[in-house]
Amino acid sequence: MNAIFVLCLLLLLSLLLIAGGPGLRTFLALAINFCLIFALIILINWGFSPYAVTAVIAVMILAVAIFLSGSRGRVMAIAWKTSLLVLVITAALAVLVQWLAQVQGYTLENSDELEGLSLNIGLSFTALPVVVMVVSALGAVAEAAMAVTADLFEVVERSPEIQPAALRQQGQLIGGQILGTAVNTLFFGMLGANMPLLIWYLRLHYSWATLLNAKLLLMEIFSTVLGMIGILLAIWLAEGFVVKAYQQEGRKILDETDL
Amino acid sequence: MKKRMQAVLIVLLCSLAAFVLARFDAALYQQPVGQVTKVQNMSQGTTKDEHDNEDENFQQKLTVKVLNRSDQVVHLQNDWTKSATMSTKYRKGDQLLLKESGHGYQIDQLKRDAVLAMLVTFFFGLLLCYVRFKKSSWLLLSLLVNAVLFWLGLVVDVKVRGLLVLPFFSGLAVLLAALSLVFVLGRRQQALVTWLATVLTTALSLAALALVMRLTGGRGVHFETMSYVTQVPAPIFYSQAVIGILGAVMDESSDIVAGLYGLHRENPNRPFLDYWRAGRSIGQEILGTLTNVLFMIFIAETVPMVILLLRNGNQFGYILDQVMNLGILQTVVSALGIVWAVPVTAFIAAFFLRQQPQEEGSS
Repeated sequence: MNAIFVLCLLLLLSLLLIAGGPGLRTFLALAINFCLIFALIILINWGFSPYAVTAVIAVMILAVAIFLSGSRGRVMAIAWKTSLLVLVITAALAVLVQWLAQVQGYTLENSDELEGLSLNIGLSFTALPVVVMVVSALGAVAEAAMAVTADLFEVVERSPEIQPAALRQQGQLIGGQILGTAVNTLFFGMLGANMPLLIWYLRLHYSWATLLNAKLLLMEIFSTVLGMIGILLAIWLAEGFVVKAYQQEGRKILDETDL
Repeated sequence: MKKRMQAVLIVLLCSLAAFVLARFDAALYQQPVGQVTKVQNMSQGTTKDEHDNEDENFQQKLTVKVLNRSDQVVHLQNDWTKSATMSTKYRKGDQLLLKESGHGYQIDQLKRDAVLAMLVTFFFGLLLCYVRFKKSSWLLLSLLVNAVLFWLGLVVDVKVRGLLVLPFFSGLAVLLAALSLVFVLGRRQQALVTWLATVLTTALSLAALALVMRLTGGRGVHFETMSYVTQVPAPIFYSQAVIGILGAVMDESSDIVAGLYGLHRENPNRPFLDYWRAGRSIGQEILGTLTNVLFMIFIAETVPMVILLLRNGNQFGYILDQVMNLGILQTVVSALGIVWAVPVTAFIAAFFLRQQPQEEGSS
């Protein structure tokens, strides 16, 4: 039996057991996202503009991440608005960073993997870092927006008498904590993912000057920091939107409008 | 609102200042740093590889002022291709790191530290605008301490022969988790609960991975596809998995715990089942998206390599096996951790909160 297949089965079973119906939706979301990324790769490989393809696919990925989550309609609406706004800002930043730092492609450290491959493939790699940065930030942005919004709705539901000012205070408390750990998640993720590369740098005694300008490392750092900026903006905006909605509508924001 | 816009504007200005400052840091470098003052591009015709990919080749003559060698002006050549897989097209104003070779200079790489300075300043600035200084400085401190400790861990790994890699990095990860939770949440019970749940869940998912690997004899897992290998790959993979799972699970656990402690602050006298249900409800909302986060990060990074392999006439099946194999394994194991974290965290948090319902409710 294939080890990965067994673990996938185990994951599916645990999802069904712990999350029930919504668990199936998670699996479905993963499958759809995989297909979307597949489409993204195929379309870019066919020669469509990577920017245009990414813009379209990114919006679809956000839609899947948020609307398949199966929470309240209003929570999803606020998270959706937030994520779209943040997506635009992150994408703009990614374009700027790539334009200035040109972190596309490979270096001599990749020689092993590239052995026997033709590198003159006629497709410009210059747009690909933007694709990578935007797509990898997407999930984190949607997650942060959902988490803050859902938590604040939870507070409103459980505490009928809460004032908007107190809600904002709760929002800042929850937001600050979510931010701290989400930033840590990305940070740990980056450390874990780049362990072999960092060990390589250490073993070969790269200088600090080389490290701080190294293409491979900076690509990773840029993705991570952009992700963190995305999370921060998502939390900030989501909190603002929830408090504003609560100020205007009071507890009516809890009413389910069936979609 | 207006105040916030002003703050954001100041952050933007600071980032710009950081960028400009770092462009004048050539004196800090030992190796020569040059700035391109003039570029002349010449087409060298097109090439066609064995997979019928047509690419254009260019050569550029660069006039470069060597900034930290008393502004000496040199002429350098650079080849680049339209695909830019390995080469870089330099533009006027770009700063380059150079290497001294004999009497002349060679191009080493683009100088990118100014962009790094700009982006990091932007993030820190925004952070300071959103969270009050006292709190955000703790977060920054935690990132810094974690980075330094992790770096030291890597140094130990490189220096010490016969190190038990997996136990060493697992211990390090548990310590880093404890530190960042204390830094972010303070030395409170909330941090302890989150930490307990995180470590327990990580241990469970790692045990699941090890068990499945043993039962299946590791079929279908290709440790040999790992990039940048300088030591035995399997222990490094397991260590990476521990750090990755721990980060993701910590995120989720602290979301759940934060939500439950928020409830507790609103009204401290709730039955166990209330917390348990609320915990599961928060967990269920996050679980899906968090799995997605990990999946997106992993799969986004593979995009360039997949395109390169596709253009080299490879089938998707082969690419899946070569480029995505370890990433998929890591994502599935992390997802397993994320799912199991929900009941584990809800239970531990509910247990602790029931123990002391009279705790001071203000924040």
